[in-house]
Amino acid sequence: MRVAVLQENLAKALSIAGRAVENRPIQPVLSNILLRADDARLQVAAINMGLGLSISTWIGAKVETEGDITLPARTLTDLVNNLANERVDLTLDANTQTMNIRCGTTVSNIKGISAEEFPILPEGGGGDVAIPGKVLRDMINQTVFAAAKEDNRPILTGVYTLFEGNTLTMAAADGYRLAVRTAEIERNFAEPLELVIPARALAEVARIISDDDSEVLFSLPDDRNMVMFNIGNTDVSTNLLEGKFPDFAAIIPKNYSTATVMYTTDLLRACKRAEIFARDSSDSAKLFVQPASGPGEPGAVRIVGQSAERGDNEGLLDASVEGEGVDISFNIKYLIEVLNVIPDERVVFESSGATNPGVIRPENRDDFIHVIMPMSTGR
Amino acid sequence: MSIHVLPDDVIAQIAAGEVVERPASVVKELIENALDAGASAVDVMTEKGGRQTIRVADNGTGIKADEAALSITRHATSKLHSIDDLINIQTLGFRGEALSSIAAVSKMSITTRHQDEAAGTFLVLEGSRILKQQAVGAPSGTVVTVEHLFFNTPARLKFLKKETTEKRQISSLVTRYAMAYPRVRFRLEQDGREAFSSIGSGQISDVIMRVLGLDKFRQMIEVSGEDTIRETGQRIGVYGFTSMPDYNRADRSQITLFVNGRWIQDTSLTYAVTQAYHTFLMTGRHPVTILLLDIPPEEVDVNVHPTKAEVRFRDPNIIFAAVQRAVRRAVIEYAETPLLRSSRQPLTTDTFDDHTSRWHSGIDSHNAEQLDIAWELDSPGNYSHQHQTGHDEIYNPGMILDSSNAPLKPRTLPALRVVGQVGAMYIVAEGPVGMYLVDQHAAHERILYEQFMDAQQRKAHITQHTLEVQTIDLSPAEANLIEENLTTLRAVGFEIEPFGVNTFVIRGVPAILANTDPVEVLEEVLDDLATGQAPGQTSIEERIIIHVCKRAAVKAGQILSLDEMQALMRQLERCESPHTCPHGRPTMLHLSSDHLAREFGRK
Repeated sequence: MRVAVLQENLAKALSIAGRAVENRPIQPVLSNILLRADDARLQVAAINMGLGLSISTWIGAKVETEGDITLPARTLTDLVNNLANERVDLTLDANTQTMNIRCGTTVSNIKGISAEEFPILPEGGGGDVAIPGKVLRDMINQTVFAAAKEDNRPILTGVYTLFEGNTLTMAAADGYRLAVRTAEIERNFAEPLELVIPARALAEVARIISDDDSEVLFSLPDDRNMVMFNIGNTDVSTNLLEGKFPDFAAIIPKNYSTATVMYTTDLLRACKRAEIFARDSSDSAKLFVQPASGPGEPGAVRIVGQSAERGDNEGLLDASVEGEGVDISFNIKYLIEVLNVIPDERVVFESSGATNPGVIRPENRDDFIHVIMPMSTGR
Repeated sequence: MSIHVLPDDVIAQIAAGEVVERPASVVKELIENALDAGASAVDVMTEKGGRQTIRVADNGTGIKADEAALSITRHATSKLHSIDDLINIQTLGFRGEALSSIAAVSKMSITTRHQDEAAGTFLVLEGSRILKQQAVGAPSGTVVTVEHLFFNTPARLKFLKKETTEKRQISSLVTRYAMAYPRVRFRLEQDGREAFSSIGSGQISDVIMRVLGLDKFRQMIEVSGEDTIRETGQRIGVYGFTSMPDYNRADRSQITLFVNGRWIQDTSLTYAVTQAYHTFLMTGRHPVTILLLDIPPEEVDVNVHPTKAEVRFRDPNIIFAAVQRAVRRAVIEYAETPLLRSSRQPLTTDTFDDHTSRWHSGIDSHNAEQLDIAWELDSPGNYSHQHQTGHDEIYNPGMILDSSNAPLKPRTLPALRVVGQVGAMYIVAEGPVGMYLVDQHAAHERILYEQFMDAQQRKAHITQHTLEVQTIDLSPAEANLIEENLTTLRAVGFEIEPFGVNTFVIRGVPAILANTDPVEVLEEVLDDLATGQAPGQTSIEERIIIHVCKRAAVKAGQILSLDEMQALMRQLERCESPHTCPHGRPTMLHLSSDHLAREFGRK
């Protein structure tokens, strides 16, 4: 194997594929990155067997001799990141499985492991559905944060993905909150198709999408129960989660007694301030929604974070309140996380009492809804 | 069979059976007589575990010549005159049964001289009959020699335990009295060898040091407390020594209680002592404790049991509370970091002897005693760098957040610098006096437990409602348990409602449990509740909280970032009792600088 690539391209490819490398793999080869040269391009790939996630990316290269090798991810990445932005020559000594890396006047040798020991990477699928990059990235970002981080209910660590008719729905929940986002797609699914995709893999996909306009090709599950995303020169494939995702439609409140419209950034900053003090009380902060005292007067929302030991913070926001007043506590971090992914100017908060689920969604939009369960404090 | 009145000697033997059941009971009665006679020195000598000879000599007032013969008849006593005296009893004996009972089952001789008389009396008896009485020259005081105990009651003789058992009984008895009467010089000689002696300095610490040995005495904490009875304004004094949590045993036998100088056995007070170690000791472990209770005589009834080992309190709750409070305070004040011991030296000791060698690393085992001196008490408040570095943390569920940017609780540990993590289980930290190994799970459990209890006290526990309603199906017995404890579970933050037969729904969980499976926690709680609750144990609420904290705490095997470890240490430093987890396991081991120096041969 003998190839020449640009340092810039190689560094970028390594940073993309490197995300899939396991922290503490069982086999040494799994902490390596695969390099494979063929057809005027260099494939850079890594796989995480534990998550069933693999990322493969291709960069243009001048290939003199084809070949492949795996090199320790950390060593290779650290080295390439510190090379000059110039041409990098990679030459493999097949006898010793040592890669000679030459860049300008710098010469390094990295000892590798034969590519034959590396797991076989999933091959590119058919690209059954095309979704605009921006749409998919927003959908993922607006749902993954709500997926469960702990795996005591593994199904909740995934994002429920439904193709039905011309609509794609993504939903994630962790037992205390639910985020649902829908979008139109071009292909029509006469038969609904349900998948649960690991949130971790989707987060990688969202991170890789850099071009808003180019389409992401989504390959539906093959016989290996896998899905693949093709984003430009990069393929991300992941195992699906098996099991039944809870019926979230039943959880979304059908009506409310109070609807409050607030400015998103004001609310977000008030929440962040309250959060500083809420840390001591399991992140619980109180929202007091106060309806307008008379016609022409604005309503208000008071947000209070308290710490018995450190002090408190109280913020007052103007709001347009429809319906009765309500006092309700939330995990303020949940609120911050959802507000972080709402780009719209204003949000609506709907509630029907201190122990019933609250709803947060962007104003005048019905493709995103976030349900959040309140907290209650001692009696 | 005709009915007839029993002959006197049979009556005497039956009565003796109540008082004198083994050689140790003879020793007990004779020591009590000696003490009641105001002796300042009591010398006990036994042979063959007391079967062959028991001799108790004192330097008390002695018996008058004309009363000597009377002393061995039943219900003859100098300590009690009328029934009214019983209420205000200050002496150890009063029933007038001891000497007569012993005399009934042995061959006995008494040499005594009353301090006001010139000549003494020498009496020889066999099975209550006086064989000989004569005047002799003798020092003031009384010497009672009992030989061939139970010679006339072969059944009793047959049921005596092994000689070593009897010997042990006697020595523990003598040491108990020595502790109760530190002013009196006790000496015990068994089969010609001195087994124990006290110096009669009046300091109980001197006696305990001799009873436990210097090594173990160093692990004792002084207990000193006082309570007043509200109605009468009289005081209850609790004084004594109790072991550091690290020094404990599998049974309660080393909890020794004295009420007004009388050794007593009282299960509820023993509980009170163990109870005071709540969360410091693992369940099933008990401290080594010696407590002297000073209780107004009218508050206790000692006339309950012939050997007076049990007493009755007018208001047991007051006494219970006084004991528990005094011990608890002492334990909390002195709770010490268990010192690190090499070569798997157990933290607990089962016998009195295996605690002497603590640092057998093979390098300098002969130095073991010196190494023990490394009990440095980390006096809180001595550290000037109380400055805390706050760091920005990214939200990460399950992450330990440093919420104590503004230190308000007093520091209970020196500032510890995190060095690293071992085996994804222990945090290595450095303090001003050496190295600490901290069990991350136990430490976090302790932190959460104190936070939770704190919130509980302020009635500020927080429930996180769940998105979906989770149902749990239970066995009828479990369902009953939940039903019974529904209010307690609610008080802790579980939102649970009955939902049909043996089915419940969970609508909310304590907020700190948000990242775990509430059903599992609930099942664990049920298991625990099913084992039932012994009196004097922790409240159900607390037990539930302990389970909740155990679940919510970081697990062993979880890799922590340096920031997380720092945050954990910062919080632990301000826990009220940072040295043990709520289950009583140690949270940290301390390897002092001295230890390190010695192990590396630098000292």
